[in-house]
Order: sequence, then C-alpha cells, then structure tokens
Amino acid sequence: MNPNRRVLHLVLYSTGLFLLLSIGAIWLKFDWLPFQRVNLVSDVLHNRADSLVTENTKKDSLDQPVIVEVKPALDFNLYTRPRTISSFSTDSSKASLERFVRKLYALQHGQPVKVRIAYFGDSMIEGDLLTQTLRELLQKQFGGNGVGFVPVTSAVSKFRQTVNATYSNTWTDDNFKESKTNRLYLSGHSFHSDNAWVQMTDQTSYDSGALVEKSLLYGPSPGHPQVRVNGQPVTLPGTQPVNRTVLAKSEARSVRLDVADNSLPVYGISFESPSGIFVDNFSFRGITGIEFAKIDSAFLHAIATENPYDLIVFQYGVNLLFRPNDKNFSWYARTMLPILRKIRHSFADADFVLVSTADRAFRYAGEYRSAVGIDSLVKAQAILAYETGSAFYNQFASMGGTNSIVDWARQKPSLANQDYVHPNHRGAAILGNYFYEAIMKEYYKYSKSAGATP
Amino acid sequence: MPTFDLHAFFQLFKYDEAMPLLFERGFFVFFFALFMICYYRFRNQFSTRRYIFCLFSLYFFYKASGSFVAIVIISAVVDFVISNAIWRQSNKTSRKLLLICSIVFNIGLLFFFKYTNFFISLGNDFFQAGFKPLDLVVPVGISFFTFENVSYTIDVYRGQFEPAKKFSDYLLFLSFFPKLVMGPIVRAHDFVPQINQPYALSEKDFSKGFYLIVSGLVKKLIISDFITVNFVNYIFDDPGRYTGLENLFAVYAYAIVIYCDFSGYSDIAIGIARWLGFHIPTNFLSPYQSKSITEFWRRWHISLSSWLRDYLYIPLGGNRNSTAGTWIFATLFFAGAFFATHNIFGLDYVQSGAVSGLILLIFILPAMITRETKGVAANMNLLTTMLLGGFWHGASWNFIIWGALHGIALAIHKLWMLITGKMLKPINNRPLYNLVAALVTFHFVCFCWIFFHARDMDTATIMIGQIWNDLSFSVWGAFAANYYPVLIMMASGYVIHLLPDNLADRLIDRFARMPLVVYMALFFGFLILYGFFKSAEPVMPIYLQF
Repeated sequence: MNPNRRVLHLVLYSTGLFLLLSIGAIWLKFDWLPFQRVNLVSDVLHNRADSLVTENTKKDSLDQPVIVEVKPALDFNLYTRPRTISSFSTDSSKASLERFVRKLYALQHGQPVKVRIAYFGDSMIEGDLLTQTLRELLQKQFGGNGVGFVPVTSAVSKFRQTVNATYSNTWTDDNFKESKTNRLYLSGHSFHSDNAWVQMTDQTSYDSGALVEKSLLYGPSPGHPQVRVNGQPVTLPGTQPVNRTVLAKSEARSVRLDVADNSLPVYGISFESPSGIFVDNFSFRGITGIEFAKIDSAFLHAIATENPYDLIVFQYGVNLLFRPNDKNFSWYARTMLPILRKIRHSFADADFVLVSTADRAFRYAGEYRSAVGIDSLVKAQAILAYETGSAFYNQFASMGGTNSIVDWARQKPSLANQDYVHPNHRGAAILGNYFYEAIMKEYYKYSKSAGATP
Repeated sequence: MPTFDLHAFFQLFKYDEAMPLLFERGFFVFFFALFMICYYRFRNQFSTRRYIFCLFSLYFFYKASGSFVAIVIISAVVDFVISNAIWRQSNKTSRKLLLICSIVFNIGLLFFFKYTNFFISLGNDFFQAGFKPLDLVVPVGISFFTFENVSYTIDVYRGQFEPAKKFSDYLLFLSFFPKLVMGPIVRAHDFVPQINQPYALSEKDFSKGFYLIVSGLVKKLIISDFITVNFVNYIFDDPGRYTGLENLFAVYAYAIVIYCDFSGYSDIAIGIARWLGFHIPTNFLSPYQSKSITEFWRRWHISLSSWLRDYLYIPLGGNRNSTAGTWIFATLFFAGAFFATHNIFGLDYVQSGAVSGLILLIFILPAMITRETKGVAANMNLLTTMLLGGFWHGASWNFIIWGALHGIALAIHKLWMLITGKMLKPINNRPLYNLVAALVTFHFVCFCWIFFHARDMDTATIMIGQIWNDLSFSVWGAFAANYYPVLIMMASGYVIHLLPDNLADRLIDRFARMPLVVYMALFFGFLILYGFFKSAEPVMPIYLQF
C-alpha cells in the first residue's frame, strides 16, 4: 500500500475520534480541564448548565455575609463609587478629608505651610509609580518642590525615574521581611553601616532657583555620631527614636552622605522646599499592610511628632490575592483593624484614606480574568475604612472594574504588565491622575463652602 | 442535552481578527481533514488537484489575514506576468527593466505595509515633521511571500529557471498553505517541479512527517508557549523590577523560546508538506550547537540566510567585488554608529569617533593582513546583508542593532580565524575547545536576543544593566522554588536541542513500519499534554529582593 493512504487514514481516524470524544465529553459533562481546553466543538456546542454554574460562583463571592454597623448620616454602599474619595457621608456637598483640604486651602491662599502626604503601598507604587504623577500635579497646583522621602537603598532604585540614587553595597538593610526589629521606619527599612555612602539627586521638576532642604531621617545613637555631608563632617544632634535634621538648604539637587557608625540607624533622606505640598512614597514589595503591626506605637508616635503628616494614604490588597480561588478576606479585616486603629491613633492629626486593591487577573481555565475574590476583598477593605472612620477610594472601580487589568495589559501601547497585576508607568500615571482629580473634587467642595463663609 | 449554536458555527468560517487561523487551532483539524479527502480523491488529476490546493491555500490565508488575501493573488498575477515576459524577452535592457519593475513592486509592497510608520516616526524625530502614523496592519506572511516573489523573478532573469507556464502553478508556489504564514521561504526551482508529480510517499515520508509535525507542535505549543506566558513576558515587560538572576534566566529562556517557536512552526510546515508529497529543506539545524557565529548562521533560519546570501550578498558583490550599494550602506552604518553611540550611550564626539573607528578597523584588518583589498568589500557586503536581514525582522532600531551586532561578530570571527587559525590548529578540534567555543557563541547570540526581543532600547539597556550590576546567586533558592516548572521546561527545551540531528531518522529506521494505532496514541498523548499545560495554573512572578 502506498503510504499516502496511511496519511489519509491517520488524519481521518484521528479527526473522527477527536470529534467523537469532543462531542461525547460535552454530552456527558466530562469536565476534565486538560480535555476541555482542547475540545474541538466547545465553541458551537454548549450545555445550558455551564453558564448557570459560573453565575452561581460569581454570586457566592458577593453575597458573603457581611455585617456593617449602621451609622447615622453614613451610607456604606458609597464605597462602590469610582474615582471618588468617600467618607461614606450621605451629604454629598460635605468635603471628605476635611482637615487636609483645609490646610491645602490655606496653602493655596498664601500661607507658607507644608502639607505632607504619606502614600503607603506595595509593588503597585514601586519606583514612585502613581505617586510621581500625584506629586507633580499637586505641586503644580499648590506649589512646593522636592521628591520627598527617599530610602537609602532600594531594589528598584535604577527603575525609579524621580531620584537618581547610587550607593555603596556596604549598607545593612533591616526590613519587614528580613529582620525582627520593631524599629523600622515607615518605609519598612532601617539601614546601618560602619562604612557606607549614598548619593542622591532629585530628578523632579523644580521651579528655577527654588531652595530645597535635604533632611536626614535617622534613629537614636549613643553619643553624637558624626556623618559626612557632601564631604563635610556634620554632628547629628537627635536623640529621639526618629529625628529629622536638615543637612543642607540650597538650590542644589544632589546630596552625598557618608556614614561610619554602625550604631546609627539611617532611614533615608527627604527633599522638600520650605513650604508647599509633598508626597512621600513608602513602597514595599509583596506586603499587605499587616506588617505595620511590627512597628510599635511609641515609635509611630515619634514619627508623627518629628515628621508630621496631614494625609495618610494606605493602598494594599493585591498581595492578598495570591491564590486564584480565595474569596474570603474577613480574616484580613479582623487582623488589620487594630493595626489601622494604632496608626490612626499615632497620627492623630492626619486624615486617612484607604485605597482598595486594583484589579488583578489569574488564568482560569486558560483565560485571564479578574480574581474571583476581588469584589469581596474590596468590600472587606471598605469595611476597614468605614469602621475606623477613614475615607475610602475604590481603585478597582476607578481603573474600570472587572477585567480592566486584562484590558490594560492588552492595549497598545499597554497600560499594564503581562503579569496581569502591575499597571506600568503609563497605567500608573492614569491612576495618579484619577486620584489627583478625586482630591481636587473634595478640595473644591471645601473651597466652595469656605469661600461662602470665610 | 447540549445545544448547537448555529450562529457561532457560521461565524467559524469567517475571518476573525482575534483568532487568525494557525496550525494549533481546532478549526485547522477540520480544514486539514477535508483538504486531505479532496486532495486524495483527486490525487491523479493534476490540474484539479492543483486548483483544490490553491483554493484551500487561499481560504487558509483568508482565515489568517482577512481581505489581505487579495494581495497574494494580485502579487501572484503581477509576478507571473513579469517573469514570463522576462523569459520571452531577449533584449537585455528590457529584461532588466522588467526585473526592476518586479523588485520595486514586491519590495514596495513589503515596505509600504511594514516600514511606512517607522520612516514616518524617523522623519518626525529628525525634522519635527509631525506626520501622523498610518493605520496599517501588516498582512500575515508578507515578509515571506514577497521574498519568494523576488527570488523567483531573479532566478528567471538569471536564466536559472524556466517560469511556470500555468498560473495555478505559480499561485500554488506562492500560497502553499503550510508555509504561507511563517515560512520557510521556499525556492521556485526546488518547489515548482514538485507540484505536478504523482502523489507517492514512502513509509519514511509518512513517519518523518508525523515526527516533524508532532515534535514541532510540542516545541511551539508546550515548551515555547509555557515559558513565554509564565516567565519571559513578565521579565521582558518590566526588567527593572527583577533581579539580575531573573533577567539572566529570562534571556536564556527567550533563547530557547524563539528557537522552539520558530523551528517548531517550520517543522510543522515541513512535516505537513512532506505528507502531501513535497520536500522542503530543513530550516533549523540545532543552531545553539554552533561553535562560531559563522556556523550559527548556517544553522539558524537557513531559508532566510541562504536567501539573503543569494539575492542580497552576491548581488552586492559577494566576497569579491563592491558595488554602489556596498558603500552606500556601509557609509550609512558608520554614520549611524557614530551618532548612535553619541546620542544613545552619551559618548562625546571623540569617543564616538573612536568606537566607530574601532569597528571600521575590524572590517578592514583582514584585508590589511592578507594584503587583498577585496576582503574589505566582502566584509562591507556582509555587514549590509546583516543590517538589512535584521531590519527584515521588523521595523525598529532594535532589529537594526541586532543585525549590526551579528555583522560585526561575523567580521570578528573572520579576523580571529585569520590570526589564530594556524596557531590553534592542534587544539581546535578538541572537545574542550569546542565546548568553550560553543558557549561563547551561545552567549553572544543570547546577548543579541535582548535587543531582538526588548520593546525598545531603554528596556534592553535596563535589562543589561540589571544583569551586569545586580547579579547575585544568593536569590537562587527562592528563584528555583518559584520557577521550577519553567526551569524544567527550559531544561527539556535545551535537552531536545542537544539531541543529535539524525536521531529522529535513526529512530524511524529502527522502528520501521508501526501500526496506525501507535501513531494515533502518540497524537492523543500530545493532545492531552497540550491540554494539561494550557490549563495549568500560571506560575506567578515573586519578589526576590526587598
């Protein structure tokens, strides 16, 4: 037999068998995933029941029994609003973050004050993503020069555009993941070394001739340790758990620090003009916010005294979605509640906004879709805000809700990475813009009422 | 009781931008089965068989690229007419004019679809012209079939080949569906004579075809796709977030991905062709086993490199003469190198001049050593060939840099051979020497892949920076623990690569004729494996450093 017949037979028999198995699998509801993925007829042959099953699983994640205490003049369901900083108040003319926007108003109207924002987050804001946009827009609107706080070393210092940092590899880094100390700065790090240096250049845009203070943030050390700033010896006076000492006040954008005292905890350097608005980026990879339990409240209190903030933004969540099928996050709400209360208590003068997780997708049966538990996580985070009297900002809804990360990753040019987790610099700029606009909405509400009743 | 979705069924036959027809689509299974029935039924009526083949091929192209199928048909008509006119024409000037028409038509077509936007943005950068980029989609396979057209008319012009008399012969040569989308580039003098042959296969054709198809599918769909989705995409997307070790492995991973992807597709095409009675030459010969960059180019994408040799390198003057083209491109290159090192790497003019001078020295040194001036022309022709070969892969600076790096490396290898050839004679066949040479070659090729695959120059530089500055093996434990499925997949890719090239033939000879059931079992085994990896939970990136 001419083997060309074997080709024909092999093709026909294989196709026929493949087709029969495919139809049979759907008929008999044989739902073994590896075969489902290669089923030949799944596009045209459906079981009605299929769609019902997915509907049900969807409902599950939303209908989790959540008991939210009813409070007067508050509406919990406001948490679903995109691009809005909500204090859950039913009075839509009342500004959220009132103390913060009041101070912004003062700054805008000529008072030489500093308005400072601490923006906490995970890898979503790493490399100053999102915060660099927010800072730029706010400084353009309200004034101020300087990139704010910069930790001594960082895994993404090469990737960060707003600061150019070079440093010796002799720093020891105590941090959330690799040490047990409870004296870590807000960045989650504390550095020390008996012989190390760091040089930083602020790359944000400056008003020409603007003065900028380069301040060192550091911890207590026995005796008065000496460091070298731009080659000149400087004695550090601080004895508190957290100290802030101005190293230089000039037009220069660069500063170099040499440290030769292993007992001196160094947290970082801050770049700020004498007045204006400043955004400090505190990013730490892979965390959920629970890590702040490690920092004791006396230490937090010392930070609030020495380095006060007017607004604290707390954006976590994506690292809670590390397993595709998790749907229950009440444990997170339970663990996080006392930690948030502690932080709020320590920073008593600061307003607080809790930002929900952004969208994150997993591959379900070969196709990328939003994590099935994302709605319940956002809800759990909203409850945390509601219970602690904080404001809430729904990042997930703001970026477009379900499957938006899939859409972002596929756009050309893309707005997010192919890991379907991280918006890239283009996407982060969009999120930064949205957040800025949300702040401005509250600001205008306030300035309207302040303008009417001076 | 399942319901049959009639609307979805009819939609299947239409072109769907999101789902172009490829060998791995379910639709292809039906397409191929139906084709086999028709082809087999009319195997002895050559013209009917040819028409069927053309129809299926054009439909395949329609399913893969929509209305662009018209371009294939139009360019087949144009080239069929021109090539026959060249053959009949005895006047030298007219022949040359006709040839130029054909080349301008084909390269113009390629240029318009593939490079217009590149040159628009170039114009905007240099002259602040502010032109809007055109909304162009590159037709699938255009890089392949325009090259086939060009080689066909040039062969006819050179008198090496009598053009096909029947249009359907020519149309089939151009649109032959196994190779239409991703190559290999076939030559008319190999292919056209096979069109009207009796459909007779040997047992070996059958089993080798099967082997090529299934191994190609494994390489492309299982190994390459898995590593791409679960590792390479993450790192190349945003290399600055990841450690040097992850970046380094992403480069090794991409090297095996592009090999498995490209050679896998070629193998499937060659295997299907083999089943239909067509022999298409091998396109990849375990390229990473090469012991020099020169050898690499004899083993990598052979159909392209031999095309470039015959229709670009030799017309430029080959290894003997220089032509105007030689010097135009060489001048462009050295000017480009000078300004690129100045603008991209921030060197001052003296340093840029020194770098460009050093590259120039590499190209002229062999001629100075052998005291033969034609060596300079040969090197410049090679450089031009590699530059344009790089540019063929896509309209971006990265591909030009990739081509330039390979061109420079080829020149360095020539120089190396010239200087050390005699000296190393006693050891250059020893296993250790070969191993070192192969490793050096492999790493150079990997280095160039960074430019090939990175989105832009910035991304490539960040990646190299991470590997250079941030390489620490202390994170190996966490890395291996997270990415072990990817690492296993990479290892199997490299193991397959290292198998001797004739292993398949030896196995086929050994087992000779096996019952059809065995083949079917192997095919279904592959299917399940494919389904398994397609539905596996993704390997997510983790953080190795804080």
